[in-house]
Amino acid sequence: MQIINGFVEAIQGLFLSSGLCSLNWQNYVMIGVSIVLLYLAIKKQYEPLLLLPIAFGMLLVNLYPAIMAAPSVELLTEQQCAAQNIDFASHAKTVIDGVTYAENPTYGGLLYYLYQGVKLGIYPPLIFLGIGCMTDFGPLIANPKSLILGAAAQIGIFITFFGAIFLGFTPAESGAIGIIGGADGPTAIYVTTKLAPHLLGSIAIAAYSYMALVPIIQPPIMKALTTKKERSVVMEQLRPVSKLEKIMFPVIVVILIAIFLPDAAPLVGMLMLGNLFKESGVVDRIAKAAQNELMNIITIFLGTTVGATASGQNFLTLSTIKIIILGLFAFCMGTAFGVIFGKIMYKLSGGKVNPLIGSAGVSAVPMAARVSQRVGQQENPGNFLLMHAMGPNVAGVIGSAVAAGVLLNVV
Amino acid sequence: MNISNLASFVTSADLSLSEKGIESAKVILTGFVVVFAVLLLLILIIKLYGLIIEKAQGAAENRKKKKLKESSEVPKTSSAPVQPAKVVAKAPSVDSGISDEVVAVISAAVSTMYGSSQGVRVKSIKKSDTERSAWANAGVLENTRPF
Repeated sequence: MQIINGFVEAIQGLFLSSGLCSLNWQNYVMIGVSIVLLYLAIKKQYEPLLLLPIAFGMLLVNLYPAIMAAPSVELLTEQQCAAQNIDFASHAKTVIDGVTYAENPTYGGLLYYLYQGVKLGIYPPLIFLGIGCMTDFGPLIANPKSLILGAAAQIGIFITFFGAIFLGFTPAESGAIGIIGGADGPTAIYVTTKLAPHLLGSIAIAAYSYMALVPIIQPPIMKALTTKKERSVVMEQLRPVSKLEKIMFPVIVVILIAIFLPDAAPLVGMLMLGNLFKESGVVDRIAKAAQNELMNIITIFLGTTVGATASGQNFLTLSTIKIIILGLFAFCMGTAFGVIFGKIMYKLSGGKVNPLIGSAGVSAVPMAARVSQRVGQQENPGNFLLMHAMGPNVAGVIGSAVAAGVLLNVV
Repeated sequence: MNISNLASFVTSADLSLSEKGIESAKVILTGFVVVFAVLLLLILIIKLYGLIIEKAQGAAENRKKKKLKESSEVPKTSSAPVQPAKVVAKAPSVDSGISDEVVAVISAAVSTMYGSSQGVRVKSIKKSDTERSAWANAGVLENTRPF
């Protein structure tokens, strides 16, 4: 009989500690959402390198919320200590209402610790380091005017700020939401952790979803704003850029931006350090490590823990829906302003610039540039815009980092 | 703490409509101006140093060309591949085992690098006579490079 009682109690204990008792409906909805995202990542291959860890982090935290729990201090009476085999005498004591409690520290969940890299703003600059190693600024140096397009595409960020404030977000939250328009995941995460950490899950997921959807969102806007004649402009071949120019570029950019806009220094600094690794040609093995091993490791941590911020209670709110709508708006505005400035350059250059490269000014490297190439080729199959679009594309990375610096400083 | 600092701490629900307008106009204006100013400054600097480097390298190339001209008067027979007798005047001399596609690719690459305006001609294409294969060379390099 005793054995059977023990067995029933054990099963009861297991049941009570299982998710079936502790999870609420929001968690179950989020489990469903994460499975849909896993499907999109694996079957449809929408940015799988990010979406897969994000979706799985989301799944984990909704199945087992304690995986993101912060460490805390548990107060135990002497009897409780004895029951749990904890040495009462060795712990610090707190006295509440005449009862002495031992302060027993509990540890945080696994993802809580990995999340510190996001929270403290460590991972995004490290990702930028890897991106820097993979980026060729040659097309930008050959055609510096494309920086204007990189700046124009950031206008969406600031216009969305306006919209977000009127939808009831605080200035800091609005800044974090606007940065989705920069179409740059690490920048969006970096700004959000500084301005509105409680919105991180929604903003990161909105930013990465829209980046994955660049090939679907951008072409209609590009086509609506340009004429057939403008789209079929064939651009002149870019001049070759010397090695010396490529080596000097990161050094000059970092000096300039870090002096004028110190808040952008961690992002731009790491981006340019990575680029100097690549262009200098003397630290090959470091460059390889930064763009492969380091970046992949950070991507795993970043993706999983960002996904883990989307617990049901945090994510299923009205503000998430607003953020998703505002993010889309920001993204469309960025694309539109890039194309509009492309049109201005088309006029000013006497028809030498194809306005389609303007849409690549939103960062999303190299997807946005590929979209420019594809839309251009639909009009003129012999037209190769890819290299021309890479100029505004990498300019967009610098542009959104600068915009992030402005937001961090002003808001 | 002044009023503008305080404004960032209150929730936007507490802000009046005009305050919201002022706050967002402030951010939008600053954002536009700073982003464009920084990137325009970058354009200027890139153009400037591009020009300087081009001039410096142009001068260096001119010097090289002069030297080359002087040296080309005495042809180096050792480095120039032997032209087969029955080669049509403008076709490059090509070692056996190199396909026409490879010749086309090399010529295209050369023409891209120099630009089509300068009349560049590929005179000969021959296999390098190193004893090790490229892969073996890479391996040796990897193992002998100092840490």
